[in-house]
Amino acid sequence: IYVLSDFLRGQHLFSHLFSSRVSALSFRSTPLRFYLFLVKAELIGWQHIDFGFEWRCTSISHFGMAIERILKDDASEEKGERARMASFVGAMAIADLVKTTLGPKGMDKILQSTGRGQTVTVTNDGATILKSLHIDNPAAKVLVELDISKVQDDEVGDGTTSVVVLAGELLREAEKLVASKIHPMTIIAGFRMAAECAREALLKKVVDNKANEEKFKTDLMKIAKTTLSSKILSQDKEHFAKLAVDAVLRLKGSTNLESIQIIKKPGGSLKDSFLDEGFILDKKIGIGQPKRIENANILVANTAMDTDKVKIYGARVRVDSMAKVADIEAAEKQKMREKVDKILAHGINCFVNRQLIYNFPEELFANAGVLAIEHADFDGIERLALVTGGEIASTFDNPESVKLGHCKLIEEIMIGEDKLIKFSGVEMGQACTVVLRGASHHVLDEAERSLHDALCVLSQTVNDSRVLFGGGWPEMVMAKAVDELARTTPGKRSHAIEAFSRALVAIPTTIADNAGLDSAELVARLRAEHNKEDSNAGIDVISGSVGNMSELGISEAFKVKQAVLLSATEAAEMILRVDEIITCAPRRREDRM
Amino acid sequence: MAAPAVSQLRSSKTESYVDNKRKEDVRQANITAARAVADAVRTSLGPKGMDKMISTASGEVIITNDGATILNQMGVLQPAAKMLVELSKSQDTTAGDGTTTVVVIAGALLKQCLLLLSSGIHPTVISDSLHKASVKAVDVLTAMAVPVELSDRESLVKSASTSLNSKVVSQYSTLLAPLAVDAVLSVVDPAKPDLVDLRDIKIVKKLGGTVDDTEMVKGLVFDKKVSHASGGLTRMENAKIAVIQFQISPPKTDIEQSIVVSDYTQMDRILKEERNYILGMIKKIKATGCNVLLIQKSILRDAVTDLSLHYLAKAKILVVKDVERDDIEFITKTLNCLPIANIEHFKEEKMGYADLVEEVSVGEGKIVKITGIRDMGRTATVLVRGSNQLVLDEADRSLHDALCVIRCLVNKQFLIAGGGAPEIELSRQLGAWAKVLHGMEGYCVRSFAEALEVIPYTLAENAGLNPITIVTELRNRHAQGEINAGINVRKGQITNILEENVVQPLLVSTSAITLATECVRMILKIDDIVTVR
Repeated sequence: IYVLSDFLRGQHLFSHLFSSRVSALSFRSTPLRFYLFLVKAELIGWQHIDFGFEWRCTSISHFGMAIERILKDDASEEKGERARMASFVGAMAIADLVKTTLGPKGMDKILQSTGRGQTVTVTNDGATILKSLHIDNPAAKVLVELDISKVQDDEVGDGTTSVVVLAGELLREAEKLVASKIHPMTIIAGFRMAAECAREALLKKVVDNKANEEKFKTDLMKIAKTTLSSKILSQDKEHFAKLAVDAVLRLKGSTNLESIQIIKKPGGSLKDSFLDEGFILDKKIGIGQPKRIENANILVANTAMDTDKVKIYGARVRVDSMAKVADIEAAEKQKMREKVDKILAHGINCFVNRQLIYNFPEELFANAGVLAIEHADFDGIERLALVTGGEIASTFDNPESVKLGHCKLIEEIMIGEDKLIKFSGVEMGQACTVVLRGASHHVLDEAERSLHDALCVLSQTVNDSRVLFGGGWPEMVMAKAVDELARTTPGKRSHAIEAFSRALVAIPTTIADNAGLDSAELVARLRAEHNKEDSNAGIDVISGSVGNMSELGISEAFKVKQAVLLSATEAAEMILRVDEIITCAPRRREDRM
Repeated sequence: MAAPAVSQLRSSKTESYVDNKRKEDVRQANITAARAVADAVRTSLGPKGMDKMISTASGEVIITNDGATILNQMGVLQPAAKMLVELSKSQDTTAGDGTTTVVVIAGALLKQCLLLLSSGIHPTVISDSLHKASVKAVDVLTAMAVPVELSDRESLVKSASTSLNSKVVSQYSTLLAPLAVDAVLSVVDPAKPDLVDLRDIKIVKKLGGTVDDTEMVKGLVFDKKVSHASGGLTRMENAKIAVIQFQISPPKTDIEQSIVVSDYTQMDRILKEERNYILGMIKKIKATGCNVLLIQKSILRDAVTDLSLHYLAKAKILVVKDVERDDIEFITKTLNCLPIANIEHFKEEKMGYADLVEEVSVGEGKIVKITGIRDMGRTATVLVRGSNQLVLDEADRSLHDALCVIRCLVNKQFLIAGGGAPEIELSRQLGAWAKVLHGMEGYCVRSFAEALEVIPYTLAENAGLNPITIVTELRNRHAQGEINAGINVRKGQITNILEENVVQPLLVSTSAITLATECVRMILKIDDIVTVR
């Protein structure tokens, strides 16, 4: 009783001492409570430890050594310097991993899945690499999952590698500053000032050609080519840049990439890829139905075409003769026929269903001369409804209220070995399909990712037509501005600002390194060039020297660069603020052996 | 602005490659693994190439010479090696033939790349140069090619037999090659002369007999028996054929049903009703004059019952049941008829007509043949025979390759010489081109040219000839302008290969070069293997 009461008092005291902490942790097991008590006793130098209690303590003495045991089994805690180190190291490791994929001469990675099938992906796309990594380090996860590369990929579509590399470099610099006894908060303040200044420097240099359509289109071409040059499509970048620009221009300013459909068909080479207006569905036309329809009225539906069953379990009919069974069967058939008749009453000549169309309705459709497509994938019908301007219907009682889709021509086409159905002249003029051809699935998947990046960037640029040069030019411009800011800023913050500029320069350095060039030499020359007014100098990876970016036609979208700058800074800031990492105990799996 | 200064300042390290150990290791490992795969299939190249025996995980044994099949069964784990397997698959889909060639070329290219890498050239430079070289190579090949007309049956047969000559079934190439040509030509639609859908050619395998008995059937072949009770028909002349998607058996509803029998007299009545129901159906069918029924397989109920078979036999209607739903399209296309899904729609205009439907005993089993089809659709059926399952499967694969070869010719109507002639010519012309190029590019293109010599080298090696003598002589002959000189494996010497009728479609060669290059470039650009979820 003495022990217990003391224990209770002790816990009270303890919680008094560390009130905030204790509330955050949960101790369930009794031995742990004893342990806490012991800790408390030591902490306040309390000598009145009961003998019985000591005996109990020895029985659980193994708790005495590991301080982490405050938390549940398997949970751990890292504090202060160690926590910060762990986050720095983790974030930098991630940055180093994707670093080599940066730039036109960046290398690819094989992603080997440990799951079933051991599928292999070959990619150069930062987002894909990061998304599929096993990451244990929490700070690294911040870089990958929480915001940065995912947001970058979803919103702007490109520059994921740049974000991670820049964030990694910022942290590398911050680590040095922390080592020289500068408070993380001061560093953060400096970084913020620097980021703001860098953004303004970029804003001053942007070119906006929105007014001039001709020039705008060349801008788009340049951006597409720059984006694609670091990808697998680099050899045919002219072809694909044109393809992407055409596709995006069809969108007429909307950023809805849904209406650009990408179909991958193995075989042929990348150069055989093409852009087709309209929509292509990877399905077959039913037997005995027309293979070509002009001025089609399309009904897109998601409905079961078999008999509408009574959905109560155990429902059954009782009859007393075979003839009645036959009658019921006939009635069921009749119901199917009625449903088909209702559908036909819409005045359609093409019916696309998400679910199966069975033999009987298929024949009915064929008799009516209607083209029926069964079992279209969900994505397919949603898109089809979107592009043909129809609605997905599931009841057919009111033909007036159902919106039909329209298109000028439906026909069967052959790509490679497969037959597909093409809907051309669709209502939504901006819809188009890119058919990718390539040697293998690896190539096709990678090509799709690359094209997706290019499409994202382009569609963003159509809305925000501000354009910058590429090839390390924006980083040098920013670095120059940030350097100047550092010189005029008094106090410790200037160190942080200077560090920011060094981190910026790391991007051209990496591009040069990846290309096997002498980065120190090149970057120094680049810096010298940029000291002149209005320089367009950047790294020309192909010739391995400093070149004029406007002549080489290397451009990037302002929006991408801005997103890179801001998200990298934010990520670095977030990680810098960390001073403790608590790892929770993993949830136990019951079914494990 | 500083153009002269830039060129002057260009550091000596341009295009050089400094890398750390790990990346080099990864690349080395990838290349080594990929080359190991290439070496495994190397010996099966060419008419005197050897076969591989593969014992699969399920204990089955496959004997084959087909590169794609070997690689597919190998079950490689290393990612780069897997890419080579994929490579041969893509060659299979694009061209259908040359699956071994493409892997051997990729292996040789990788070997050269290893040398280039070790001399410190940046992988991307190698990769770009390879691309350039492959584009140039395709140009050279196209220039070498001879146009061919589809009406020129002889040339088509020649190229099909070239493909077949390297297979296990090579001794039957005189039979199979014309067969493949006829099959493909019979499905070519005059409206779309450059498209061939190989799904319009059905290959039916039947054990027994020898490959010699393989035949092309003008009509349909079902690998199943005619369903008949005693006294049923097995032969029908002047057949009126209906493809039905309903069943001739007692009715069954989608909703669960049960028949309540309360006394004995009812039972009799029910039996009678069942009989009447079936009889009614058959009468309706008979009324249209139909005498052959092809019934689609259904998982819900029996296609026919003993009772209905009995009545059908009485009505003199021949029945083939359990036709797969996937085959319906092919069948209706061939018979030029429409499937019938309900007895109510059983109309004469939906039926197809044939001179003869008969059950034929073949080896152990029986097959149903439909011949003399009126207004037959553009399809073809090939009945492949073989003395055992292994030969049968291999014959099927070889025939598929031959069909693909002909299809390639239909798509791209050009022929090119075989027997290593195009490769050595490429090697020569690219070698000359490399001398004009500047910098690293020239160096890499030269390696590309050297790598291509692997094909004649391996051909000679596999045929037991002295590869070095053969290749050097071949080079010599080509240098003298005999661009069609190639290795005549049968005679063991160099001859004009076009005269020897060793030809192959241009598409096979070009796609082998482009696909191999694309794959090698991809492997080169990899610097890390990351394990992911």
